Amino acid sequence: MADNGMEPKIVAFLCNWCTFTAADLAGTSRLKYEPNVRIIKVMCSSRVDPVFILKALLDGADGVLIGGCAPGDCHYSKGNFYARRKVALAKKLAESMGLDSKRIRLSWIPASEGPLFARVVNEFTESIKQLGDNPTKREVYI
Amino acid sequence: MQTLFDSRMTMADFIAALFDKLEVAGVAAITKLPSGEKTAYTLLADKDDIEDCVPYFPAMPANAARAVSKLTREAPPSKQVAVFLRPCELRALTELVKIKQALLDNLFIISFDCAGVFPFQEISLSDEAKLKAYRDAVADGKNCEGIRPVCNACTRFVPEGADIAISFIGRGLDEPLALSFPSEKGKEAAKILGLDSSDNVETSPALETLAEARKKAEGELTKKIEETLAGTDGLISVFDKCISCHACSYACPICYCKNCYFDSQTFEYFPESYFARMGEKGALRLPVDRVLFHLGRLSHMSLSCVACGMCEDVCPVNIPVAQIFKTAGTRAQALFDYIPGKNPDEPLPLLTYAETELEEFED
Repeated sequence: MADNGMEPKIVAFLCNWCTFTAADLAGTSRLKYEPNVRIIKVMCSSRVDPVFILKALLDGADGVLIGGCAPGDCHYSKGNFYARRKVALAKKLAESMGLDSKRIRLSWIPASEGPLFARVVNEFTESIKQLGDNPTKREVYI
Repeated sequence: MQTLFDSRMTMADFIAALFDKLEVAGVAAITKLPSGEKTAYTLLADKDDIEDCVPYFPAMPANAARAVSKLTREAPPSKQVAVFLRPCELRALTELVKIKQALLDNLFIISFDCAGVFPFQEISLSDEAKLKAYRDAVADGKNCEGIRPVCNACTRFVPEGADIAISFIGRGLDEPLALSFPSEKGKEAAKILGLDSSDNVETSPALETLAEARKKAEGELTKKIEETLAGTDGLISVFDKCISCHACSYACPICYCKNCYFDSQTFEYFPESYFARMGEKGALRLPVDRVLFHLGRLSHMSLSCVACGMCEDVCPVNIPVAQIFKTAGTRAQALFDYIPGKNPDEPLPLLTYAETELEEFED
């Protein structure tokens, strides 16, 4: 673990059916994971407009995690395929507009995979620690 | 490449033929205003007004796709209307059809290879020196000094999907019109106009020359914008002058929403929220969400951005909005291998998907 004393703030948009349930399972299974994610539940990962991601980054979030059902397992059958396109767009726009696309992560975490959720959060927190503070955090004139 | 015909008609003859032979009920094109200085996009129903019609005048008072959208959004016109559109305006119209903001029924679309336009504030009918330079540049297939930066770097200046396309570049604006007829409707029109293979003419090599110059300029523009936008500091400094007037979105042909998300209640906050956002910064520039507006607008329309340049034309504080949107838009479009306005049957990238794709964006 990079110990730079940084406690990243990560906004996590999790789909109701898979990844949020996985987060719930991680909790009820008493799994320990980094306390840096602030979870926002959405009914489907495709509800996440690229604007939500970019707004979080501009307002000083150090990372944005989008979690959805595995491809083929979407509760609404194809929402996560649209989500993937939207996240790809958000990443590409971030990259073009001077934001760091490595601060955005899309992960498919099925409902039964509490340990996977804990692992993804730990990994992402660690990689954000490596990146350091999001420069927008200190920016007054944004 | 479409077969080109020498029509032996001037622009006035051609417009007269639209009324007389093709029996259109109206013609929409750039016309001279009575002041003798400025131009406007106008719908004409009377053949007697055609002398004021200057479809190729190098100004874009508004993206004409917006006007055509207004004309056709509720219902198609009951009679044929001929509309002159620059290639970028035609692409914008195709995108507007995809988002159900325009109908193509009973429209007769006329476009032309476009040498670009000047910023609207900087060109008048009486600017003889500029217009002469422009005419020369068209005849020689060169980029004209003083046209908008995005026009200068536009590589899609030959129309796609028009019923009739006029070729000016390499021939000049005052020569008899060289026409091609890409669509079925256009081919019918060619017969009515009495053009056949005996009227064929060669495509000008100047189109190639200009395409190369444009490609080079596009590379330079992209490089300049990428350098400007490097890192968060670049992003903030480029939009430092933005006064949040949102004029860019009002002039944008793609931004059709009657109630823009960014003007909505979503972005009205209680005072506490401002202090929360301030956090440890101790200060906060107002109004908030200024840079977000541009990034948000990019999320909503960049995939359909045709780089027409209207946003930059209307920006009161001279932010290179169109150059930024063209650069970011092109990169976003490349992600989905999508060229806005090219193919009316191709779905918008966010309304379709493939089951196996973009796996490099998953972790």
